[in-house]
Amino acid sequence: MKFNSWYLSSFFVSFIVAIPILTVFTSFFQETTNYFDILKNTFLLEYIYNSLVLLFGVLILTFILGVGCAYIVSFYDFPGVKFFKWALILSFAVPAYIYAYSLTAFFENFGTLYSILKSLLGPGEYNKSIPKFDGMLGAILSISFSLFGYVYVLTRASFHYQSQNLIELGQNLGFSKYKSFFTIILPSARPAIVAGLALVAMETLSDFGAVSFFGIATLTTGIYDSWISFDDLAFANQLSFFLLLFILGLFFIENISRKRAQYHSPVKGGIKEKKKVKLNFSKAILSFGFCFLVFFISFLFPVLQMLYWTIIFPKNLFDLNTLQLFGNTIYLVFLSSIVLVIFSFISNYGNRVTKSKFLNYLTTFSITGYAIPGVILAVAFITFIAWFDDTFVKAFEFNSIKKIFIGSVFGLVIVYFIRFYSLAYNGLKTGYERINRSIDESSYLLGYSKIKTFLGIHVPYLKNSIFLIGILITIEVIKELPITLILRPFNFETFATTAYIFASQDLLEAAAVPSLFLILIASTFILITSKFILKD
Amino acid sequence: MTNNYFEIDNVSFAAGGNNKVNNVSLSIENEGDIVCLLGPSGIGKTTILRTIAGLEKIKQGTIKLRGKTISSSNTHVEPENRNVALSFQENSLFPHYNIEKNINLGSERVKDDKKILSKDIINFLNLNKILNKFPHEISAGEAQRASLARSLVSQPDLLMLDEPLSNVDQSFKEEIQVELKQILTNSKITTIIVTHDSYEAFYLGTKCGIILDGQLKQYDDPYNVYHLPNSVEVVNFLNRGILIPAEVTSPKSLENEDLGTITGNFARPFPIGSKVKLLIQPEDLEHDDSSNLKLEVVDRKFRGSNFIYTLKTISNKLIPVFVHSHHIHQHEVDEKFGIKRPIHIDHIVCF
Repeated sequence: MKFNSWYLSSFFVSFIVAIPILTVFTSFFQETTNYFDILKNTFLLEYIYNSLVLLFGVLILTFILGVGCAYIVSFYDFPGVKFFKWALILSFAVPAYIYAYSLTAFFENFGTLYSILKSLLGPGEYNKSIPKFDGMLGAILSISFSLFGYVYVLTRASFHYQSQNLIELGQNLGFSKYKSFFTIILPSARPAIVAGLALVAMETLSDFGAVSFFGIATLTTGIYDSWISFDDLAFANQLSFFLLLFILGLFFIENISRKRAQYHSPVKGGIKEKKKVKLNFSKAILSFGFCFLVFFISFLFPVLQMLYWTIIFPKNLFDLNTLQLFGNTIYLVFLSSIVLVIFSFISNYGNRVTKSKFLNYLTTFSITGYAIPGVILAVAFITFIAWFDDTFVKAFEFNSIKKIFIGSVFGLVIVYFIRFYSLAYNGLKTGYERINRSIDESSYLLGYSKIKTFLGIHVPYLKNSIFLIGILITIEVIKELPITLILRPFNFETFATTAYIFASQDLLEAAAVPSLFLILIASTFILITSKFILKD
Repeated sequence: MTNNYFEIDNVSFAAGGNNKVNNVSLSIENEGDIVCLLGPSGIGKTTILRTIAGLEKIKQGTIKLRGKTISSSNTHVEPENRNVALSFQENSLFPHYNIEKNINLGSERVKDDKKILSKDIINFLNLNKILNKFPHEISAGEAQRASLARSLVSQPDLLMLDEPLSNVDQSFKEEIQVELKQILTNSKITTIIVTHDSYEAFYLGTKCGIILDGQLKQYDDPYNVYHLPNSVEVVNFLNRGILIPAEVTSPKSLENEDLGTITGNFARPFPIGSKVKLLIQPEDLEHDDSSNLKLEVVDRKFRGSNFIYTLKTISNKLIPVFVHSHHIHQHEVDEKFGIKRPIHIDHIVCF
């Protein structure tokens, strides 16, 4: 094995990303304050119970919404179906915590619904009859409507690739539509559905904004509290260890499902265009109604709620330093995208050039970082920096490096890098898999060096992948909350943190403006990439 | 000390840690010579090319080009510094460049005064119509020709072609073979061609190497490889004849129980009285309706210019015989077929 510069660069990148995972595992054995004993006997069970209830609630709802919408838009033809095909993915632009603010704002006492009823029907005691979607139910609804898009996108792709022959076979065997759905269509899309649900599960367990807003104590909020409120970093890491085990299990399920889902890729020579069933009037109305309802509740409802508040409380718009927030958000997006794309490129190319099995294992291990909740990553990062500072920096009597990494944009970008590395790495890897190795070899034989091959052949060829990855990172960074909240510099706010801070102070109407901006920016980027996300 | 243009000395070729072809030694004496390597699929022919190109390393032996060591156990000149071109069997064109740009990339490092006109090569390989297309828009055969053009314009010290015409239409293949040989000879490009088509190898090669069972079994002129195969394995691989038992009766004759006396020149001498296996190739025996040596026809293959009859001897051996297709009449299966006597074979090959 030759340890050339590509090997070392690639190793370095993967190692940096693997640090938080290693930190969480090693911290498990550290001593903590007696808070751990208190928690073990009292709250820990509640954390686990709440996490599980939330998880199953969200899984059931996202399954119904995601698979239902995917089935209708894939197999049936009705007015608006082309619009819903992409409109349904706009829900990706609404983070669960903003959905939670909207839900509360609309249904709370003297909230938006109350105002609507009052203006329509005159003054009355409407508060008693308005249902309240808060607590666990609110959290399940918020997270489900924000995340069902994962199940929708993957299931729709799987339905799209299902062979028309398979469906015709069911018809030839005399199966009813109902029987065809349950015996042919659904089972063959199972790997895609499981992959989508596993992603939803990971995101649900990682969710911080929505559950903390509704006051639900889960493992994730427990980690945040044990660090912020009880100043027990070791315990935060131990809780992280439990959560991480849980999430790694889901990660492997998702990985296995994804591999199996490849069997549903189109065969050579393309696939036979699926014939959509044209629905009669009443069924078309029902299908349109279902899709519109999901689109309305998942996207229009939070947007309109935020817009409504922005309009009736215009002062909040003018008080907010929108330009500054926009600048900060874009600054972070720009830095993260550049860093992620460059280092993912180096790592991908390093793996490709060196063909090292060890490097490949290390990379596979390090990209599990996407399964780790932002809260854990941030806490693990702080733990590592503190340990490194105490063990090495202070030992040699250098100045502390904590300020460089904690509470700085530099540290923030590093943790974003770790969090979204798998997104960038896998995105480029998919692009790289389309480049036959003999193309690299031809390039070398034409006299191109490795760096010239990289810059002259790979980078131009993968420019579409780079563009797509850049936008996906942008969407994620704009929505990201816990890492930004924990690691941002003093007085450095983004749309996400501003919305959270207002909401946590019960100033929901003030949270509306940053939330609205956040959704609008994220929606714009989603629309730009919709062609890729819904790639047939 | 030899002054070979290219030399492989006792090299074992390996891919992915597995040895494929062991202890190979061969040389190309003159610049502009063409060597063809023949062998069954998966035997390691491509591995040899990849190793010479520097894409695989070696643990033993030496590879020299123009007297300079390019690979050995402790030397490895990187592929980009060898000035060696390899045209891959699969499509290795750069997907984001059109065909013209792909071809022109090949000539980037060639000095102006040495450049072969890419226009000529484009013409001879019939690529004019696809110059503005992208690799995914052309057929496998076109991609192979474009890749060949790119390698040719790069004017390498050593050109290697991996099954260069495997995807090319049969109707176009012979024409390309002729022009390819012409252009390689005129431009004095030393070339190693891997192919599984023995006719292609015999036509293009100054020398041919037969790779079997992890070894270079024979490395010789095409004529000798065909007429004087040096082992039973080579005979079986070329599939051009059968071995029948015979006894050496004199320095210029031997005796077979079915065919009687056979005369000719032995490729290698055997003591009188030796029991040997005699190679009978389709063109060794001649048809003669008036002969009293009659064998039974068990099969007849029409090959355009000739027929190949498969005849059964009394001892149940199956012998192939060529007959010109304009021969006055055809013999049906189960009919008797006369063999001209006395039988004389120019090169008697025995094992």
